[in-house]
Amino acid sequence: MTASVAVENLARRFGDRVAVEGLTFEVNPGEVFGLLGPNGAGKTTTVRMLTGLIAPSAGRGSVCGYALGDAALRRKVGLLTEQPGLYDRLTARENLTFYMRLNEVDERAAWPRTLKYLERFGLGGRADEPVGTFSKGMRQKLAIVRTLVHEPNVVFLDEPTSGLDPESARTVRDAVAELAAEGRTLILCSHNLAEVERLCTRVAVIKNRLRRVASLTELRKEGLALEVKVEGEAAIWLPALGRLRFKPEGGAEGSKLTVLLATEAQAPDVVTELAAAGARIFSVTRAARPLEEAYLELVREDEGAAA
Amino acid sequence: MSFSWARARAVFWKDFLDLRKNPGLLASMGALPMMLVVVPAGVVWAYARRPDDPNLQVIARYYDAQVSGEAAARFLIDKVLVDWFAVYLIMPVFVPILVSSFAIAGEKERRTLEPLLASPVTGLELLIGKSLASLVPALTICVMAFGLLCLAVNFAAGAAVLPTSMWTFGVFVIAPLFAFFGNGVAVVISGRVGDSRLAQQLSGMTVLPLVGLAAGQFGGFLKAGLTYYLLITAFVLVLDVVLLVAATKLFDRERLMTKWG
Repeated sequence: MTASVAVENLARRFGDRVAVEGLTFEVNPGEVFGLLGPNGAGKTTTVRMLTGLIAPSAGRGSVCGYALGDAALRRKVGLLTEQPGLYDRLTARENLTFYMRLNEVDERAAWPRTLKYLERFGLGGRADEPVGTFSKGMRQKLAIVRTLVHEPNVVFLDEPTSGLDPESARTVRDAVAELAAEGRTLILCSHNLAEVERLCTRVAVIKNRLRRVASLTELRKEGLALEVKVEGEAAIWLPALGRLRFKPEGGAEGSKLTVLLATEAQAPDVVTELAAAGARIFSVTRAARPLEEAYLELVREDEGAAA
Repeated sequence: MSFSWARARAVFWKDFLDLRKNPGLLASMGALPMMLVVVPAGVVWAYARRPDDPNLQVIARYYDAQVSGEAAARFLIDKVLVDWFAVYLIMPVFVPILVSSFAIAGEKERRTLEPLLASPVTGLELLIGKSLASLVPALTICVMAFGLLCLAVNFAAGAAVLPTSMWTFGVFVIAPLFAFFGNGVAVVISGRVGDSRLAQQLSGMTVLPLVGLAAGQFGGFLKAGLTYYLLITAFVLVLDVVLLVAATKLFDRERLMTKWG
């Protein structure tokens, strides 16, 4: 199977500043792939390189079989930017017509399927209204339709729900999920873990360099979360965890104590320490590790090394 | 990717449509031509109304001591129309500036530049499409204003004083070159700054030399005529070529994306 996106040691510098470096990953056709990282991690720069907007400073890559830098690549990709980037005085139909013409698609063939997207996203009756009258959520949905007018093979979604209210964010997420269900290759840039968890199958964690490429299941499996049910309020046993030499992170809710561990071998020490402190332990179970923990661990790698 | 007229036309179509839906900008584009028609028509009317006014002879003799008394009004009418062409040239420079200042800076402000550059459109197609969207309305306005000027001035003079060969050559040859200059300046500045108002203000300063020339002519320091305007045109033609080269280089996707403000 030929990868939809393949990059090897991709890097981009702006003067002396390294925006991103050492990116090596592949995205398979039909996959929903997440580019995960904090603000300023280089996600947008990566997307700009992959959509042919800027050239890499080093490394190489291809999208839909076209080398980065090949102008023909832009016919095969769609880009949804963080801001919808629509022309307010023009109607939705005129905005879409403009992008059909830029992509030189047959408008007669493109309109029926574009109108279907507009209908699906609840914009069917608003096609001839100026975009300036649309709400933020409607604008973002129209921008999604715009990315699809030329039927791209790969769609890049850069922070698609950034700055939206929860209701608009949800409608946009639903729209993205529908695109994924159509079998398109989607690359989603986000620092919203819930969004990534809901939509993506694999992720690349980036913070100016590639930290990890893995499926969400793999990420959650790394490390261990232990759920300890104790008698009474669990919070009073949190200080006992601090006495352990590996100082695990922990949280308490009612009589349940959640302890995050790096390895399974640390589990007996936790139980021993709690028992020594006087806790009456009813049960100890292994729980799914929150994605947030795995993500934070990866993006804080440098801080750990510096400390 | 090879050049596509269809994509350049799409850019022109979008910018022209956007302009048509912008009443504020259309009003400002129409204000200057109205002034350029009404003022000379008024002056010509004043001269033609009382051709035997001795004050006209005094004014005419300031410019040319050989002017006889009865010919003073006609001399002044011809003189004002020749000199007014320098003022008229402000229009083909200024009107494209009003539109082209938004060419790239406006796209940056509206956050439409990134999706636009992610499409298959090339820098040259963008440059041509955006320039046409500015030049076509500007030159249409210039020709229409010239038509109105001829009607108004001939009516005010009570005789056919326009069009002259100089004005006809000027409107159809010199004015397009000046329009190209105004557009080029605005496009280049618009590509370098992140704010369309700043682009407009900076580009607008290019009309100042024309104002200076007109002042020199009306003050009697410069004697305008076909040769005089041809010399200015040759200079503007060189500037046009320089601007075309600069704009072509500037309309590079990466440069537009990364050089903000």
